[in-house]
Amino acid sequence: MALKALDIYKLLPKKNCKECGDPTCLTFAMKLAGGKADVDLCPYLSDEAKSVLGATTRPPIRLVKVGVGERSFKVGEEFVLYRHDKTFYHPPGIVFHVSDTQTEEEIEAVTRRVRDETFTRVGSDLRFNGIAIRNESGSPETFARAVAMVESVEAHLPPILISRDTAALKAALVHCGSYHPLLHAATAENFHEMCALAKQHGCPLVVQAGTLEGLARLVKDCTAEGVSDLILDPAPDSLGDFVVRSTAIRQLAITRAAPDLGYPVYLDATRAGNEDAAIALGIVKYASVIVTSPLSPGPAKAALTLRQNIYTDPQKPIQMNPGLYRVGTPGKDAPVLMTVNFSLTFFTLQGYLESTRIPCFMLIVDTEGLSVLTAVAAGKLNETLVRDSVKKFDVENEVSHRKLIIPGYASPLSGRIEDATGWKVLVGPRDAAEIGEYLHEEWKN
Amino acid sequence: MAYTIPFDWTGAIGDVVLGATKSEGGTRRISYRIGGGKTLPFLETGPVSPAPLIAFEICDNPVFWPPLIRNYCGDLTNNVAEWAKTAESAYGADMVRLYLTSTRMRNFSDFASVKKTVETVLSATALPLIIEGSNEPKIDSEVFQACGEAGQGERLLLGTAEAGRYRSIAAAALAYNHSVLAQSPIDINLAKQLNILLREIGVQHDHIVIDPYTGALGYGFEYSFSAMERIRFSALKGDADLAMPMICSAADSLTIKEVREAEPGLQDEMAVRWEFFTGIAAAAAGAEIICVRHPKTIPLLRAAFEDLKKGTRPEAEVQ
Repeated sequence: MALKALDIYKLLPKKNCKECGDPTCLTFAMKLAGGKADVDLCPYLSDEAKSVLGATTRPPIRLVKVGVGERSFKVGEEFVLYRHDKTFYHPPGIVFHVSDTQTEEEIEAVTRRVRDETFTRVGSDLRFNGIAIRNESGSPETFARAVAMVESVEAHLPPILISRDTAALKAALVHCGSYHPLLHAATAENFHEMCALAKQHGCPLVVQAGTLEGLARLVKDCTAEGVSDLILDPAPDSLGDFVVRSTAIRQLAITRAAPDLGYPVYLDATRAGNEDAAIALGIVKYASVIVTSPLSPGPAKAALTLRQNIYTDPQKPIQMNPGLYRVGTPGKDAPVLMTVNFSLTFFTLQGYLESTRIPCFMLIVDTEGLSVLTAVAAGKLNETLVRDSVKKFDVENEVSHRKLIIPGYASPLSGRIEDATGWKVLVGPRDAAEIGEYLHEEWKN
Repeated sequence: MAYTIPFDWTGAIGDVVLGATKSEGGTRRISYRIGGGKTLPFLETGPVSPAPLIAFEICDNPVFWPPLIRNYCGDLTNNVAEWAKTAESAYGADMVRLYLTSTRMRNFSDFASVKKTVETVLSATALPLIIEGSNEPKIDSEVFQACGEAGQGERLLLGTAEAGRYRSIAAAALAYNHSVLAQSPIDINLAKQLNILLREIGVQHDHIVIDPYTGALGYGFEYSFSAMERIRFSALKGDADLAMPMICSAADSLTIKEVREAEPGLQDEMAVRWEFFTGIAAAAAGAEIICVRHPKTIPLLRAAFEDLKKGTRPEAEVQ
């Protein structure tokens, strides 16, 4: 059971020495209670207090860093099963797969692509995260050559080295040992040697077992060997298997029912019959590292977009900056459509307006990210806001007419907006999909 | 020792039957019983609930349909009977969802044609149908009456009821024993409220499918995803007013920027992947009917759902 901040406070030295980085023991206790700080930051804790606190205040899922430098990524430190309960913090690294049986040109091309490809949407740059090199040749030399090829591109991408042969890993680590590659995978048979390698190079390590018990046992074994940056590969036999095991691991970890399962989850989508489905499920069902074949443009964009959606903080809806936006190159007689600054509303309406090919203005007013329906209900969208926005964004000088189209759901405000702005108000459709038809029929100057 | 996942569910998703076979009083070759889930999607260990159904969406006036699909399906889009037939025989859908877009023409009043269209589609395909009536409250009553009557005995799913306009649909559903699609704007409380309104005028629990509204991937899908998860969670925690199966229709996927602005040769591929990723994620959140508009999305979803329902031999017991 998680302890409350006050219970934790009782166990702290109450010196307010600030050595943990917090101003008081109480604020430190509150951080511990939220899983946001590590007990070890306090130098004055008794061993007894440490053992009581250690188990309950650690984040329920360990934070693990893969790679070094700008392109490194951190996964884990999640607290909830449902994003709406709080948020998901660390998006999964989606890593492109190459085999050491591929030609140097192929390996180089994939590496360059992950290095260079960026997809920008809603103001964020979305990228793939690293390169997984699999030892399919069976030869340590060939594996090492492939890894050297990836490194020669100087992409500084987090590598994942996939081989059960510690000799092959050893040979490969000569080329990337200082980049904290993720090693895959320690099993019941080889964990001793794998742990030695992981320790020597400071690498995070994937443990692989087909049962939760097997994973928990390997976690115990590896932590006993001194390796605690671990990632769990439940080696699912099917997509259904993955959903069951990944959900079980997440739920058992966050409820602290099985602390040995409190580590991020690894998913090899290339081993699934349906790679795209595996990626989508990995994103929504708690995978933290997803290995996939290099994706073609369709699934690449869909995967990155789904990841962005799911890892958006639900308590902070993505908002647009209020203002006057142009669709096409609107003239003085172009229609002005007012709506809210909820990103979904904005992009949906913008999409439909673009497809009507009628140049127009979008007047985006600040409802703090609320949708039209909720903004009207909450009183956030009102005639004063509309009047002030018309003034602030100088709409009067942009168009020669005085007509404002408002969303269908804002129709109760139409009279008041007319009174406040002096503009004629036209009530548009409730559904943005009908805006094209509406403009074609209703917009006449 | 097996792990027990600590969930403590007390409720279950209610059943809804879609379509009626001959022995059930209709003419469909199959009917589906959806719902019945007792835990999160795809976690069942006992007798499993069926894989999500894939519904193919068609319409009777393609002017209102995405250009991408008009191009891909070609002349079929001008012949609703052939289109429905193809959805079953060639595309491999589980259901056909017919949008009566003809009713969206200005001053539409040819209600006899509505009845005829529904009858035509019913004889063109033997799959259970979802029928989307008018978009205009003034003609709801006539349109839904015509749909309901034409589909008597076939256990249609009629859409779409909203908080401000559900009476005409409910009346047609009650008169001819059809089910109702109840749509709310991505809000669990509004979803619940509408279900209560429907119940109060006599629509039974097992005749309601919830549509929490699906925003396209990248255009608010995360809100829909969470609304679905919350509805499923509340239902499993015992809220009977939310314990109905859900539908997902990301209809905007065909017209979003990523699809429109893709290179001409890539537009279909982009649309299909967009529908596919949305459908998979929605199914994982609890949707049991996944609607698509691109025929090529169907086999992909089918294969994925089979794999999802397969091999779940969890060592962890779900409670």
